[in-house]
Amino acid sequence: MTIRRLLPIFCIILLLSGCIPNEFTFENKSGEDSEKAKELIKKDDRIKGASALFYEDHLIVGIRVKTFDRFKKRKIAKELEKKLTKSYPDLAVLVSADSKILTETNKLILKGDEKGTKKKIHELISLTEEET
Amino acid sequence: MDEKKYAKLEQSITPKPPILKNVIKAFLVGGTICLIAQFIALFYMTFFNFTERTASNPTVATMIFISMLLTGFGLYKKIGQLGGAGASVPITGFGNAVVSAAIEHKSEGYVLGVGGNIFKLAGSVILYGVFSAFLVALVKTILVKLGVVSW
Repeated sequence: MTIRRLLPIFCIILLLSGCIPNEFTFENKSGEDSEKAKELIKKDDRIKGASALFYEDHLIVGIRVKTFDRFKKRKIAKELEKKLTKSYPDLAVLVSADSKILTETNKLILKGDEKGTKKKIHELISLTEEET
Repeated sequence: MDEKKYAKLEQSITPKPPILKNVIKAFLVGGTICLIAQFIALFYMTFFNFTERTASNPTVATMIFISMLLTGFGLYKKIGQLGGAGASVPITGFGNAVVSAAIEHKSEGYVLGVGGNIFKLAGSVILYGVFSAFLVALVKTILVKLGVVSW
């Protein structure tokens, strides 16, 4: 087969599959129990992917919502943030439906770098507060 | 021949525009432009410190820049011929309108020609854009003051 015939097939496969797998990742580097958060996030069937990082006194959660719930993704994130703040009163909770937060949290979890994490979390918090 | 007769004759002679075909073409071309913009937004999110919300500003600027370049090279009119409204409704059509007016009036000089006419087509976009933004903001301000919604 020539490359001309292969290229559209490749494109279609790429478009249909999507690039980012939807999964739930949790990383706990604080003294808190992460089971509660796991339960809360997985219970909500509007959320199809999430990554949560507990780090010292911070809890940062990036969520991916289902396609047609994207219209109210900010509301969903707010609701989840409220619930999580209730169950973890000692932590500073940040929940965001923004894909930037999700990818950055995933990166932080994968890297596992102890020194840069704190700085990065503060950066992410200031990023979410930015207005357009 | 009276007015009605003429209108009837005119309607029977005028070729019917292939509306469905045009709509599909506009959908595909407009969708392709938006897909490219989506990739640019993804690029800004991956390599720079932009969130989904803030990435829209540099994306719009980049799309306008690209369409201005394409207009200068004479390629955007081909896209416009193919896509119709699909090429003019996205923000790229705005860039096209600005630059094509500038190119058209370049021979009249830079001040009275380019400067005076550059917003000939895009001026209405700016005027009514600002005006409608003002109206929406006014309504929202009143609603917030009345306590119906919050910011």
